[in-house]
Amino acid sequence: MDHTSEVQLEVGAESLAGLAAEAGRALGLLMLRGAPPAPEGPSRLLEVTSVDREALLVDWLNEILFVAETEGWVAVDFDVLEASPTRLAVNARGVSVEEPPSLVKAATFHGLRVVEQAGGLQAGLQAEVIFDV
Amino acid sequence: MKTMHETSPTVPAAGNGPRYPSHRLSPWLVEVPASARSDMRVPARVYADEELWRQIAKDRTLDQLLNVSTLPGAVSAAYAMPDAHEGYGFPVGGVAAFRAKDGVISPGGVGYDINCGVRLLAADLDASEARPRLEGLVHELSRRIPAGTGKGGRHRSGGEELERVLGEGCRYLLERGLASPEDLENTEAGGSFETADPRAVSDRARQRGGDQLGTLGSGNHFVEVQRVERVFDAKAATALGLREGQLTILIHTGSRGLGHQVCTDYVRAMDAVMARHGIVLPDRELACAPFSSPEGRKYFGAMCAAANFAFANRQAITHSAREVFRRTYGESSRLRVVYDVAHNMAKLERHGKQDLVVHRKGATRAFGPTHPETPAAYRGVGQPVLIPGSMGTASYVLVGTDEALGLSFGSTCHGAGRAMSRTAAKKVQSGQEVRKELEAKGIIVRAPGGGELAEEAPHAYKDVDRVVEVVHQAGLARKVARLVPLGVIKG
Repeated sequence: MDHTSEVQLEVGAESLAGLAAEAGRALGLLMLRGAPPAPEGPSRLLEVTSVDREALLVDWLNEILFVAETEGWVAVDFDVLEASPTRLAVNARGVSVEEPPSLVKAATFHGLRVVEQAGGLQAGLQAEVIFDV
Repeated sequence: MKTMHETSPTVPAAGNGPRYPSHRLSPWLVEVPASARSDMRVPARVYADEELWRQIAKDRTLDQLLNVSTLPGAVSAAYAMPDAHEGYGFPVGGVAAFRAKDGVISPGGVGYDINCGVRLLAADLDASEARPRLEGLVHELSRRIPAGTGKGGRHRSGGEELERVLGEGCRYLLERGLASPEDLENTEAGGSFETADPRAVSDRARQRGGDQLGTLGSGNHFVEVQRVERVFDAKAATALGLREGQLTILIHTGSRGLGHQVCTDYVRAMDAVMARHGIVLPDRELACAPFSSPEGRKYFGAMCAAANFAFANRQAITHSAREVFRRTYGESSRLRVVYDVAHNMAKLERHGKQDLVVHRKGATRAFGPTHPETPAAYRGVGQPVLIPGSMGTASYVLVGTDEALGLSFGSTCHGAGRAMSRTAAKKVQSGQEVRKELEAKGIIVRAPGGGELAEEAPHAYKDVDRVVEVVHQAGLARKVARLVPLGVIKG
C-alpha cells in the first residue's frame, strides 16, 4: 500500500495463525528485496507473547527483524504451533544471508489494524501494518 | 508574524482523509485551530508556502500533526516544518513541546533512528584542486565506511567499551584518539548527553547495534562529497570556515540497529503503562508516559544513550574519512568539523519560564546567535543548521535565529522531505536511469543496488530550494551557503 516515506503492508488469512505466517512471509520478501527465498537447513522455534492481538502481530514481525539483523538469518517459511491473541509459537525455516538484510528498521503501531472479515470466500482476518524503513 | 494574512476555509486536497478548517497566518505559515478537532489541546501550525502546503496536505501529515496536538502537556502549538510528510506517530518534520512537570515523553515522537543527524566536514582544499583524485576519494570512502543495515564497523564496541560509548558518546572517542576537542565543541551538546543511562538500554539493543559503530546503514543515509557553490552570507560563512569553491563532506546517519531497538522496546513498554497513567491516544504509535514518571525517565536515559552512540558513530565515520582524505591528498590535508546536528531527538530545554521536553522528529534544532548552547565559535552568528537535499540536488548550510525560539521552539526543517512513496519513485525511473542521470551531471555514485538508488531519486523529494526559502523567509534560520554534490555514497 502507498505511504510517502515508509512501507505499508496489507495481509489477509483465514485465521490468526495464517495471518502470522502470511505477514512473516511478506516481511521476508521485503527484507530480501523480492528475491525468491528457498528455505534451507533445520527449523527453529520463534516465540512471542504480547498484550493483545495487534501488539502480537507487531512483536512477531519485530522478532523476525531482530533475528535477521543479529544473525543474518531471514525466516521465510512458517509452521504455526500455537496462536492465541497473546501468544505465538512458530517453527520457522529460513535462509542465511552473507550480510544482514536491508530496508526495514521496525514494525510500528501506527495505523495498525487487525479486523475480522465477515462471510463468504473472503472470511477471515485482515491486517495492516506500517514498517519504518 | 502572527498577523492573519488571509483565510482559506479548508485544507485543500487532503487526499481521502478528513478536511480541517485552516487559516493562513503569513505567506509562510498556516494554522489549523485547536477547535478543528475536539481532542486537540493546542493548534497545529505548518510552515509552508502555497505549493508546499498543497503537497503536505496530500497525505496523512495533517492527521498525524493533529494527533500530536492531543498529547498531554502540549504547549503553544504542534508544528510541521516545510519538508513535512507522513511518517508514523509524529509526522516527519514534526515539532512539539510538552511541559516537563506534567507533560509526556513519546518514543514515537523521536522515531526509531534516534539522533539520526548530519555532520558537515570542511576541507582545506578547493574542489578544483581535489578533482583529479576525486574518484579515488569516493571509492576509498565507500570501502572504508560500511553501508547496509546490519554491517559491522571497524570500531567494534562491546562490553565495557560499548558502556562508555553509550554513557559518554564523543567524549570517549576523544579519549581514544578518534576525535579532537574542536570536533566536540562543534557538535550539538558536545557530542555527549550526560543524562544518558546505559543501564536502560536492553541486551537486545546492544546485540543489534553493538558492532555498528562507524557504519552508515541503509535507507536515506549517505556520505556526500560536495563543493560550496554559493555563499549567501559572507560574514556567517567566514565564521563557519566556509568559502565558495571549497570541498566539503556531508555525513548523514544515526544510531543504527541499537537505536531502532531502543525505540521498539520503549514503544512497547509505554503502550503497556498508558492506561495506568490515564492517557488515551488517537494513535497507538504515540505511546507515551509522563516525563516525570519512572517509565518516562527510563526512556529518556535510554534515548540519550542511543543518541550518544549516534554522535560517536558520526565521529567514527569522520575518523575514517580523515584517514582516507590524508591518504588521498597528503598527510597535511585536513577535514574540520563545521557542525553536527541531531534531527530525531527529545530534549529537555528551558523556553521562557518553562522546562519543556521538545520533540523534534525529522526536524533540526536552530538556536540563534545569543543562545548559550550555540558553540562559542559561532556566538554572534548562530548555530549551524545543515539541510541535505536529495541525491543530485543541493544541500544548504544555514544558521539559527534568536526569533526561532518563539516561532518553532528553535527548530527548522531537516531536509527536502519525501514527496513520493518508494514504490511510486521506482515507477518513475529505474536505478540504472537514476545512476546515468547523476553521472551525466558529473556526480560519482556508489550504491549497494539499483533499487536503493531509484527509491532515493531526486524526483521522490520536494524541491529543497523551495523548502529552504520558506525556512529563511519565515525567520526559522538564515541561509549561509549552498552546496552541490560531486560524489555520493549511498547507504
